[in-house]
Amino acid sequence: MQIPPCEQAQDVSLQELETQLRPLFLAALAGDAAAYRLFLDAISVRLRGYLSQMLARAGRTEVSEAEDVLQETLLALHLSRHTYDAASPVTAWAHAIARYKLVDHLRRSGRHAGALPLDDEAHRLAGPEESAAADARFDLSRALDALPERTRRLIDQVKLQGASVADAATAAGMTETAAKVAIHRGLRAMAQFLSKRRRQS
Amino acid sequence: MQTDDLISLMSMDDRPVDTGWLRRATWLAAFAALAATAGLVLLTLGTRPDLASAWTTLPVIAKAAFGASIAAIALVLFQNSLRPGLKPARLLPFIALPLLAAAGWALLTLAQAPAEQWQALIFGRYWRGCLIAVPLYALLPLVVLLLLARRGAPVDRSLTGACAGLASAGLATIAYSLHCPDDTAPFLATWYTIATAIMTALGALILPRFLRW
Repeated sequence: MQIPPCEQAQDVSLQELETQLRPLFLAALAGDAAAYRLFLDAISVRLRGYLSQMLARAGRTEVSEAEDVLQETLLALHLSRHTYDAASPVTAWAHAIARYKLVDHLRRSGRHAGALPLDDEAHRLAGPEESAAADARFDLSRALDALPERTRRLIDQVKLQGASVADAATAAGMTETAAKVAIHRGLRAMAQFLSKRRRQS
Repeated sequence: MQTDDLISLMSMDDRPVDTGWLRRATWLAAFAALAATAGLVLLTLGTRPDLASAWTTLPVIAKAAFGASIAAIALVLFQNSLRPGLKPARLLPFIALPLLAAAGWALLTLAQAPAEQWQALIFGRYWRGCLIAVPLYALLPLVVLLLLARRGAPVDRSLTGACAGLASAGLATIAYSLHCPDDTAPFLATWYTIATAIMTALGALILPRFLRW
């Protein structure tokens, strides 16, 4: 079968991406926080490129919008880590989640998803990188505001003041494990807030 | 909140993640739902009077095997449909295998019987009972699978709903075979297939709205 050179190149770079990301993600699943950080940094750069490219095709060029969808996608990736099948490519997994969130975002914001030429090719992920983070609009901050006081303060300390989980936990008078669980619940509540708001609008 | 902050926050979680949980939970939930549904059939309808001697006969085994094979194939698809990036829709044609086997057997039976018996062979005694009971009992496994699906990440919610409907009909078929007194192949191929189709459509239409994430 003849493959056009351009597509072949994209397939190759998707494979490179997979080779780079897969060991990181498998280590992350086993509990390696540093590997998880590297994975999230690498995948968010790719996803930002993918999402802004697809949004631009739908006539949306505001960078803050792509950043919103990116944040929602990252949150979904995080909360769905247990759905990854180790026998399948991690790029395909991440792409499918990003695509779901993108279609949902477009449907929610009034544009019929059918108008967007969404192709199923995960190799879009191997397209242009975009490392310049734009300011998101207020979506995630609003979700953060909706959290219970205690959880919000914990997240604020870790996120803004750069405290370690252990320090933040001591300050809040809880164990480190309890703090991790609380942060995880907070992230879950933020994701639920985002999808609930979507249903209302 | 900046994306970078979000990433820092998420990468603080160094607790290991179990990717096999979803698969184990699916099978466990299916077995539990089957046991509960069978119990419900026994409580509400009771067994067929001759179950003690009939359960080793081909028709009873065939009914249970029909339901079991549909449920097993549908549960594999269902579980895969909760994992983004897999393309379980490609395996959907496999569901046709038990249906075609039952249909083939039914046609063979009809071909060997005189035409005046066809009506009795197809309608049996309690075709309305089967058509009502199987979807009704299937609601229990359907709800169990719905609750489980909410723990996954279904990117194709209609497919997940259809697979849950199929699997629940298969499980209800096994349970109802303890009671169903009609033993002909044309009966099985007609009414159980229709009941399965009803549940599949119901799952595909109703479940997606409960599966948003």
